[in-house]
Amino acid sequence: MSTQIPKNLKYTKEHEWVLIEGDTATIGITDFAQSALGDIVFAEVPDVGTSIAQGATFGVVESIKSVSDLYAPLSGEVIAKNNDVEGSPEKINAGAYEAWLIKVKVKNPGEIAQLLTAEAYDQFCQTSA
Amino acid sequence: MTQRTSLYQKHVDLKAKIVDFAGWDMPVQYTSVKDEVLAVRQKVGVFDVSHMGEFFAEGPDAIAFVDHLVTNNIQEAPMGKAIYSPLCRENGTVIDDLIVYKLAPQRLLICVNASNIEKDFTWMKSHVGKFNVKFTNQSNDYSLLALQGPQTEATLRTFIPQLPNMEYYSVWEGECFGKPVILARTGYTGEDGFEIFGGHNTIAELWDGFMKAGVTPCGLASRDVLRLEVCYPLYGHELNDEVTPLDAALGWTVKQAKPAFIGKEALNGYKPRFKLVKLLVEKGIPREGYAVCDAEDKVIGTVTSGTMSVVLNQGVALARVEADKVTAGQKYFIDIRQKKYAATPTSKAFVQGGHK
Repeated sequence: MSTQIPKNLKYTKEHEWVLIEGDTATIGITDFAQSALGDIVFAEVPDVGTSIAQGATFGVVESIKSVSDLYAPLSGEVIAKNNDVEGSPEKINAGAYEAWLIKVKVKNPGEIAQLLTAEAYDQFCQTSA
Repeated sequence: MTQRTSLYQKHVDLKAKIVDFAGWDMPVQYTSVKDEVLAVRQKVGVFDVSHMGEFFAEGPDAIAFVDHLVTNNIQEAPMGKAIYSPLCRENGTVIDDLIVYKLAPQRLLICVNASNIEKDFTWMKSHVGKFNVKFTNQSNDYSLLALQGPQTEATLRTFIPQLPNMEYYSVWEGECFGKPVILARTGYTGEDGFEIFGGHNTIAELWDGFMKAGVTPCGLASRDVLRLEVCYPLYGHELNDEVTPLDAALGWTVKQAKPAFIGKEALNGYKPRFKLVKLLVEKGIPREGYAVCDAEDKVIGTVTSGTMSVVLNQGVALARVEADKVTAGQKYFIDIRQKKYAATPTSKAFVQGGHK
């Protein structure tokens, strides 16, 4: 299975991607994840103002047949959510890296170093596939 | 060690996602669950369901034997009919649900769930007793395809030109490519369709023919959505070893007018503990095991099957609810991740299939 893994993003083993811009992290699920899930029919993410903690669940995406928890790549406060994706979750299948889920104001910049590089994530996908 | 159907390699070559289902490596989806569901609702799709079990009862008492074992009426059904029925213990609990095909006065085919083949065969065999019947498990000799959807008959006729006009829930023993097949106008999708039992090579050739003809290969995930949209029960979900048919809205399959059958006494006058309720949710997707609550937040039942309906684009569920809580004005809520979502009970199936 060929999967897109943009070089400019960071990743988690739970198949989330993170775009770091200053102290803002934009978070979504990877192309690998959307492909494994199949038709995504439901997405639920926290409202603006919610605090999320690295490693804890912050929402779900559901395909027709399965429920997958979303795990926070970083700790921080939600400063934006993509209502468009909650309304039309199939947009995640259409473009996993355009269909971001939430933006977070990063609380502990030290956590960023724990994220995977594109190369490391690619390696991880190949060994876990 | 999981088992594989005779078509396993074809599924792998089609890049199907394979999962372990009841000890079988089965295709769960090929391309997209949604596309596979829509292919069956609008055109034609094919499922490899060779994992299911085939038993034969043959001999002078074949009909009397099977009629004694199951709750529905096999004796009075016309020859050439297919009859859906639960198989119960003396205490009325459900061992399995199955379809009996009346092939000939001394020859019946019984198709059972893959997960229950051993349990069913052991139980049924132990009741042969004084019946003059040869009862055999021929599951390993048969492959089985379910061709389903409004274009099924036209598609099938290109492979079997001598196909007779068959009613819904009827069966015919014929030939395909010069080899014997058993064709039944049955299925698990609510659409018109046929199930085709045959030898492994015949079924493999037919599968290849269907692929060339543009029939959509469909996996178990779409099969589950299709059956749930039309509210067909699934063993292990709506039915299990602890409930009776009357706890699962299958009263219509229990024929108390029959002189005798296993479970008759227990089911006679049985007061159901549960009712099966069809629920449509406003938002969110109900899943198996989620709690069903009343307006006071009291748990009154459990979701036995839930999914996003592809046709309705809405969450749908079958729920096992305490019988005395199922009243005209009852309000239902489903607990999805600690939040309560209102659910509307419906009397009709979520989707009306187009079967004959």
